[in-house]
Amino acid sequence: MEREELWKSVLSELEIQISRPNFLTWLKSSRLTDIKDDIAVVSLPNYFTKEWVENKYNKLIISTLKGINYSIKRVDYVVESAPKPVSFPKEQETKVLEKQLLLQETKIDPETNLNPKYTLDSFVVGSFNELAFSAAEAVIKNIGTKYNPLFIYGGVGLGKTHLIQGIGNEIKSLYKNKVKIKYVTSEKFTNEVIWAIRNRRIEDVKSVYRSVDVLLIDDIQFIGGKEKTEEEFFYTFNSLYENNKQIIISSDRPPKSLPVLEERLRSRFEGGMIADITYPEYEARVAIIKTKIQEKELELEQKIIELIAKRAQRNIREIEGILNKIIFYQSTKEKVLSTEELGKIVAEMTDRGAINISPNQVIKSVADFFEILPNDLTGRSRSKELVEPRQIAIFLLRDMLDMSFPYIASKVGKRDHSTAIYAYKKINNDLTKNPNLHQKVMMIKELVNKAE
Amino acid sequence: MKLIALKNNLKSGLDYLSRVISSNPNLPVLSNVLIKASDGEIKLLATNLETAITAKVPGKVTEDGGLSVPYGIFSGMINNLSTERISLESVKNNLEVKTDNYEANIQGLGEEEFPIFPKIRKENNFLEINSTVLNENLKKVVIAAEMSEIRPEISGVLLVAEIDQIKLVATNSFRLAEAIIKKPQFQNNFNQGVKAIIPLKTAEEITRIIKDDQSTKIYLDDSQILVETGDVEIISRLIEGTYPDYEAIIPKNIESQAVMNKGELINALKLASVFAAKGNDIRMKNKDAKYVEIYSGSSNLGENNYSIPAEIAGEFRIGFNWRFLLDGVRAASGERVIIKLSGQGKPAIIGSPEDKQYSYILAPLKGGE
Repeated sequence: MEREELWKSVLSELEIQISRPNFLTWLKSSRLTDIKDDIAVVSLPNYFTKEWVENKYNKLIISTLKGINYSIKRVDYVVESAPKPVSFPKEQETKVLEKQLLLQETKIDPETNLNPKYTLDSFVVGSFNELAFSAAEAVIKNIGTKYNPLFIYGGVGLGKTHLIQGIGNEIKSLYKNKVKIKYVTSEKFTNEVIWAIRNRRIEDVKSVYRSVDVLLIDDIQFIGGKEKTEEEFFYTFNSLYENNKQIIISSDRPPKSLPVLEERLRSRFEGGMIADITYPEYEARVAIIKTKIQEKELELEQKIIELIAKRAQRNIREIEGILNKIIFYQSTKEKVLSTEELGKIVAEMTDRGAINISPNQVIKSVADFFEILPNDLTGRSRSKELVEPRQIAIFLLRDMLDMSFPYIASKVGKRDHSTAIYAYKKINNDLTKNPNLHQKVMMIKELVNKAE
Repeated sequence: MKLIALKNNLKSGLDYLSRVISSNPNLPVLSNVLIKASDGEIKLLATNLETAITAKVPGKVTEDGGLSVPYGIFSGMINNLSTERISLESVKNNLEVKTDNYEANIQGLGEEEFPIFPKIRKENNFLEINSTVLNENLKKVVIAAEMSEIRPEISGVLLVAEIDQIKLVATNSFRLAEAIIKKPQFQNNFNQGVKAIIPLKTAEEITRIIKDDQSTKIYLDDSQILVETGDVEIISRLIEGTYPDYEAIIPKNIESQAVMNKGELINALKLASVFAAKGNDIRMKNKDAKYVEIYSGSSNLGENNYSIPAEIAGEFRIGFNWRFLLDGVRAASGERVIIKLSGQGKPAIIGSPEDKQYSYILAPLKGGE
């Protein structure tokens, strides 16, 4: 703080020697930022001030500085804006525009890329995401030292983005501006690398990402196969990791199942803490719905809440969609919807997607996934390599298409309907116990949906 | 300082400066214009310490020197003079104005009291563009911007100068406009891309000052921009900060769209605006495959419906603030307008079906479908 004291006394001397308006305009917001040997560095708010002070007051400043600290022989002037006050984006500014929707992305803090709507307070914790949440809490307390990198994976719409952005926002509010955070989706990272390559500014990307204290990367699976981006990420990762900077990664599958990721990256991901988010159980879903209802200031009967929780089993985003739809109906129809109407909306929303899938598509996708022939799947062989795929196929036919067991049994090679029932029950049970199986089923489902 | 100049030349030079003249109680010299004669050139200069404008005025210099005089007095005098030739001379700190039949004496301040204009490193990051092209594109983009104390980084126009194209972007968080200028409409010497945020006021000043069919040169360094066009030079600071990731705002999945005649749509919007309540909301939906219906109404005014022929794909339903929509429709070039929707509650793209270089993205109204 010696510098500040020094500059204060210089300013008070200058104040006497030049007119007050001139002092206020040109020198009031100056700062002494550095003293290197015999050179003092003075920062000024803009170029006009710099030109003026350099030309008019330089001699005066040097002689005053010398009077206090005679080793100084020269003063350099730089333009530097004062540190910006921390301002959180205010809620919508004008009342007239209350119905006008925002371009969501503009609410995002451009420095950190974090969306303020994701907080840990609104994150519902259940046994399905307990591990990930505790890991997150530990990371917030010990940035960069406890679990590094933290790798969080889980299916679509289960709250990965919410959790990692929540970590970012929490760190931001806890450590204020002392910790530099950057959130980026792997898609955005790729785009930035592409922009940088096209415009020869790759150094900028390097410097931006290597200067952060906490790097949050969302949906890392999309980085696979993009060599240059992977390479850039790899170097960034290493440089951050070596300097004990926290890295948090999310993905829809564990590192070992990331298909086209380079080995050196995969092994690094596995070196830290890996936490999964599985499907929320019924009670957690009810809790989630209740929190969301509160956020959206909606009122729903317990019966409807239970209905939604029962129907939307595997995707929290789906719950969000259903609630949005209900709000939309209520606001356009301007009346409270009856239980029957609400039930209809829920049914409509959850049934979607199954319409265009044919049983053959499911069988083909399963076969493709396990790299076997569809005919093997429907054949008589009971060798071990075929049993699991066949059971999964049966499970999916029931789960996605809601087909009858006798029909499913005849589809997979004229088997008895009890075989189909057994297979369905087995997979359904194992699904919650065996994350590996869960992963497979999820990926096959994706395949099926893509095949349309 | 001693010089002779024509009235109209002085007048147009002064006009360029009018917006940056400010009154600052701490620094009264900011409401002055500096008249400077050197090397046979006459220059008028003014600044508000954020933006500085220099205008060259043709005339005859007989003695070098400079003097600043209050802008209001000087321009009021020049505007009302009836003679063509005006002679200006500094006598100590006074400006003597003489014509054939008129003499005046204005109290001024010496040149040394006037702020010194910052310099910009000119060698790098220079681009040259036809002023008509720049002006058209800048005007189309500026409409979407808005001054905001809370978010300084969006109170300006983002200039993304890449090696082979220039993008201009502005947003006020409800709407966003983007214009792309491709080579060979401009020249540059960039060896790397540059992003800069030009303050909104400076951008508006540029659109006001540049005249058609000249060449405009833009120089950028880390914190300043210099625009040279014709006889005028504008130098301004740039806004610091990071611009929002605007590319993420531009919708990629189009669910439905409608193409309409631009004149007819503007007319329909104006009509609908009569009944739109203070929320400015109007609704659009496809009546059948060939017509879009524009509806507005409020409980205490009444309601109306306007159908216009359109080429429609998909189910077209949305609600907008008509003022925001009209800005975007007007900015679209050509005879026809296309409105593309990306889903419920998601922003729409407004533009011309032929012109891919300009898009106006507007967030809809809540529950407007």
